[in-house]
Amino acid sequence: MSSCHPVQATVAEPTAEQDTLLVALAGQPNVGKSTLFNLLTGLSQHVGNWPGKTVERKEGTFTFRGTTYRLVDLPGTYSLTANSAEEVIAREFIIRERPDVVIALVDAATLERSLYLVAELISLPAPLVVALNMMDVAEQEGVRIEPEVLQAAMGVPVVPMVATRGEGVQALLETVDRLARGEIPYNPKPPRIRADHREVLEKIEALIADFVPAPYPREWVALKLLEGDREITQMMKERMGPKRWEPVHEVLRAHDDALVAVASGRYEWIGRMVRAAVTRPRTGQIGLTERLDRWATHPLWGLIILAGMLGLVFWLTYAIGTPLQDLLDTYVVAVLADAARTALAGGPPWLAGLIADGVIGGAGSMLTFLPILVIFFAVMGALEDIGYLARAAYVMDGFMHMMGLHGKSFLPLFLGFGCNVPAVLGTRVIESRRARLLTLLLAPLVPCTARMAVIAFLASAFFGPAATLVSWGLVLLSLAVLALSGAILNRVLFHGQRAAFIMELPLYHLPNWRTIGLTVWQRSLAFVRKAGTLILAVSVVVWALSTFPGGDIEKSLLAQVGRWLEPVGRWMGLDWRLMVALLTSFIAKENSIATLGVLFGAGANGGLADILVSAFSPATALAFLVVQMLFIPCVATVGAIRQETGSWRWTLFDVGFLLVISLLGGALTYHLASLFW
Amino acid sequence: MLERLLDLLQTGGSHRISDLAEALETTPEMVETMLEGLERMGYLKRLGKDCTGRCTACPLAGMCAAGGEGRVWAMTEHEA
Repeated sequence: MSSCHPVQATVAEPTAEQDTLLVALAGQPNVGKSTLFNLLTGLSQHVGNWPGKTVERKEGTFTFRGTTYRLVDLPGTYSLTANSAEEVIAREFIIRERPDVVIALVDAATLERSLYLVAELISLPAPLVVALNMMDVAEQEGVRIEPEVLQAAMGVPVVPMVATRGEGVQALLETVDRLARGEIPYNPKPPRIRADHREVLEKIEALIADFVPAPYPREWVALKLLEGDREITQMMKERMGPKRWEPVHEVLRAHDDALVAVASGRYEWIGRMVRAAVTRPRTGQIGLTERLDRWATHPLWGLIILAGMLGLVFWLTYAIGTPLQDLLDTYVVAVLADAARTALAGGPPWLAGLIADGVIGGAGSMLTFLPILVIFFAVMGALEDIGYLARAAYVMDGFMHMMGLHGKSFLPLFLGFGCNVPAVLGTRVIESRRARLLTLLLAPLVPCTARMAVIAFLASAFFGPAATLVSWGLVLLSLAVLALSGAILNRVLFHGQRAAFIMELPLYHLPNWRTIGLTVWQRSLAFVRKAGTLILAVSVVVWALSTFPGGDIEKSLLAQVGRWLEPVGRWMGLDWRLMVALLTSFIAKENSIATLGVLFGAGANGGLADILVSAFSPATALAFLVVQMLFIPCVATVGAIRQETGSWRWTLFDVGFLLVISLLGGALTYHLASLFW
Repeated sequence: MLERLLDLLQTGGSHRISDLAEALETTPEMVETMLEGLERMGYLKRLGKDCTGRCTACPLAGMCAAGGEGRVWAMTEHEA
């Protein structure tokens, strides 16, 4: 059956008395239609546009056993409903031009998906041949298809083939040729509309019987009317006139669920075909995924595993990252700062301050943070790559449901774990404006990756060995605040209505270290770039404001601003420097660290972590981390909120609301923690 | 089968394709095909398709929680 050459080279030359037969080639996009078309027509093709459309029309000829065939490549479509110009072109061509044969090219490896179009084509008035392409891919994936069983079930010829290798093409042409000449019995078994709608279909057929224009088949038109097809409805409305159309309209209005009934009949048909002809052996990978998912997606065990995974992420980050960060702090930042001071000793004092305190103390401190980030990215990347993160999302939904949050606000909020900006944009899935507005106002409460990374650094700086526990607790606190806010939102706005969402969980697989390495590299590089630009600029500005006028930090401009904020900070045990660090995190979350680096003279007087741990009590440190976790989002998120709400009033309200929540959280934490420390 | 799938989805909550397949006594591939069909009919909306709109200014935002290899759909107001 195999041939790798264009078909016209292997078949007889056309003679003068031969017929020309018309063949249409139909199929979904990406099933190999172009490959087959090129294989059959070779150089004798013509490319243009379908009349009045910008959709490409390809046509060509080939000869087989003395007959010339005109082959028309129909646009790739998933169905034949008037959803797109392509779908209308494909069905109009088959109905109006009545090709001698229609070849439906399907992907054997994803047969279910391909058969929906076949379910529509088989109901049209043109003989159909189903070409089962990509049999090799199906075989590789362990899918076994019995073409003769499929043929018996559908009542139309089925030809297995591999178009890229030319396999099965000869058999396909023989089948097309014999079918066109009536040498093959053709008894198609098309899908039927769901039983409870058959009477309705008959009723519509009877009402429209005298008005269906040739060459449209009556039953097909009735079916399309039930599906709510715009083009066919318009056509029949015009032909019948308002008076005669009214009873049809009444029936259609009474059965507005008919679209599902019609499609359901097709899916039942596909299910029958696949059950009859396809065997899918369960692979070891699927078995393993199911076994692991029994635990990983279990409502209780899944949550425990998720909490354990979060703990593991932080533990690994600290166990490996912190010693490396200490080394960088001691041997790179401190040494560089000293070297800068020595080298610039002869120059103006402000220059040595700018380089040693502003640049090295600020942006340099940020760079010592890199090992922690690299480990964090690598562990999260590995969890993403093996397929665990999708399970985390699934389990989190169960958790949110338990907490009373199960509205449409869940998904946009979940997107926020990557970054708050897509969470804000993701609220577009919520139709109700009021619900959408409140969801996007809550979105910044989701701990984004940047915030988590800042916490990863600061928790380690403040709490040393207890950092894992503190970070873990902060994430849980953040989720609890989110769940509580979401629950209120759901009760008030969605009235407890439960929205559905469906997840396709990928199979678990061994991590691809190259992919993870590449992701870590890209994210780390982007972080270094940010440290070298935005964070560096903010560090220099913070240094300048902390130096001028006079060089005494306590009398600087920044100190004046900070002292203005200090009364608020006092409720939470935060001094003016910590308040300023919080303020600069508005530009980008990581600026908190850079600002602390500048203000505490990191580099010159040892590593930032050592200075911080000796400067603040654990209660202050914990309060600072809680505020940092719940604080107003970065400027990019605020911009997105402004864009999505279209209102500065709501945007400022949100900033104020988050400010209050974070400050209250910080004050409460400080006073509670002070009871113990 | 399609209406049973819609009924299941209308109960709300999160669903896995494999669970839906088990409940409908069919294959996950068949469920996926129906989900894509429901998406075309406007009953479902695919989310996080390519995670566009992610904060481009933030280098730490590379992760797309609901994206990755899997796909996520949510029901639209078309339901009921």
